[in-house]
Amino acid sequence: MTGAGARTSSQGARLLRERSTFRVVWDLVIVAAVVLTGILIPLQIAFIREVQWGGSLLVYLLDVVFLVDIAVSFRASYRAGGAEVTDPAAVARRYRRSGFTADLLGVIPLDALFLASSAAVGGVPLALLLRATRLLRLQRLLRSFRRWERLHNTNTGYLRITKLVIGIFLLIHWIGCGWFLVAVLEGFPENSWAVVAGIDGLDRGSQYLRSLYWGFVTTTTVGFGDIVPARNAEYAFTILVMVLGASMYALIIGSIASLVSSIDAAKAAFWDRADGVSQYLRTRAVPESLQRQIRDYYEYIWERYRGSSTQQFLRDLPDPIRLEVVFHLTRELIEKVPLFRQAEPALRNALLMSLQPLVLVPGTFVVREGELATGVYFVSSGELAITTEGGERHLGHLKAGDYFGDLSLLLGERRTGSVHAETHSDIFFLPSADFERLRSAYPEFRKVLREIASAKSEKLEDLVAAGCIL
Amino acid sequence: MKISHDERDGVAVIRFEGNLDTNTAPEAQDTLDGLVAGGTTKVLVDFGALDYISSAGLRVLLATAKKLRGSGGNLRLCSLNETVAEVFEISGFSTIFAVFPSEAEALEGF
Repeated sequence: MTGAGARTSSQGARLLRERSTFRVVWDLVIVAAVVLTGILIPLQIAFIREVQWGGSLLVYLLDVVFLVDIAVSFRASYRAGGAEVTDPAAVARRYRRSGFTADLLGVIPLDALFLASSAAVGGVPLALLLRATRLLRLQRLLRSFRRWERLHNTNTGYLRITKLVIGIFLLIHWIGCGWFLVAVLEGFPENSWAVVAGIDGLDRGSQYLRSLYWGFVTTTTVGFGDIVPARNAEYAFTILVMVLGASMYALIIGSIASLVSSIDAAKAAFWDRADGVSQYLRTRAVPESLQRQIRDYYEYIWERYRGSSTQQFLRDLPDPIRLEVVFHLTRELIEKVPLFRQAEPALRNALLMSLQPLVLVPGTFVVREGELATGVYFVSSGELAITTEGGERHLGHLKAGDYFGDLSLLLGERRTGSVHAETHSDIFFLPSADFERLRSAYPEFRKVLREIASAKSEKLEDLVAAGCIL
Repeated sequence: MKISHDERDGVAVIRFEGNLDTNTAPEAQDTLDGLVAGGTTKVLVDFGALDYISSAGLRVLLATAKKLRGSGGNLRLCSLNETVAEVFEISGFSTIFAVFPSEAEALEGF
């Protein structure tokens, strides 16, 4: 039932799981509804200033959405101590303690009592002013963002940027509405900013645009001076906005700097390391071609694995999870290499757990003539070349699905051939100790090898006849 | 290494005893080449007394098999001990050569 977004508990109550599709969609609906509320209510109070049929209907429709949200929140699991809490009683208790009161106050339609009344404050109907209680819903926005930040694997930096943009836009919108409301509440005296700027007689859209413009000019500390305060209330409001603007400016600069560094933290750390290596190689006068090869390696690692070397990353994981990850990473190899295709799951898992991933850039040697056997290599992707006589004689290619290194290991002889990457290649290495351990622990290993050996017999015959032992 | 050979039902049976490695491979090659040159087309190599085979030994077998195939003949192997059998199986040589458990089975239908 999790796919449908619900789970039936022992008490029979339906609980909405944190990763269910319904919760994801509902969170998006709620964020949109909160933003709409944050835009609509101040607009109605400052610029509309009359109870309109359409506006009221929209406000009450939003109320219905938030009423449903209260019901959803009573059934929505939460995360505590690293685990998802799915006990309906605990879920309800937690919601009653945090968020419920504000949510409830936000949906009580106090304004409905005054819809037919002509009561007004400074020309603004009381019914509209009372709708301001719905702005309590903003705390629901923060709850959704907190949940997303914890739950999703996406870079939280992007989520923080979204939160910042929504926050800044709403704040400046409110400042614009508030600036115009100051003039409204004072009844547009002759020296008020709105009359001086000549917008008191304009349409609502123009009034809003000029007010919003003043909000942006003041909060961003640009201050063109074309719209200025003249009355005490306006000065007081302007001082408040200046303080807010300065704080917001600092917050924006700080947040953007932190976000940029957090979004690119992995990249910066990776390339710092690569630059450090390059600098060291230059200092030690390592040949230019080798330096380029190493740089190429880092670029390939970044492009393919986003800097996280598989091997390094796997070391941090506990065995069972590592097996899952390795299984996923090597699924291509499992399909291509007959050894894995033929092996029983137990042997295949043991093989996968022993494999060491290697990333090769063109020109990198995997094994060289004269070396003692250290293990068996399985090609996952790319193309490698087999050579002898110091690279003078080309004996063939190895591609995805091929493996080599077993013969010198079995015969206990030094290799008489070399293998190097011709293209960017990913290969897996099975160390000799693990090869031996698997041979003795899994008798079927030998049987599997015998069954799959026919696929490489022709290539093997040519190589051995040419005196090449890998 | 000791090399002996006799003939059974038109098949030359060669027995290697000891190690077939770089040192002994030339002698083994000479023996086999002599048989092929003498017109023998069916060769059975009995590994019952062979302790170890190196890449040089494998090359001798590959070269002989190639020559025999060229003259319409055939090479069979039999009685591999556990170590040698494992090398043949894991490395894939058991699919290149016709390998039989015993001499009698190898001779059957040769």
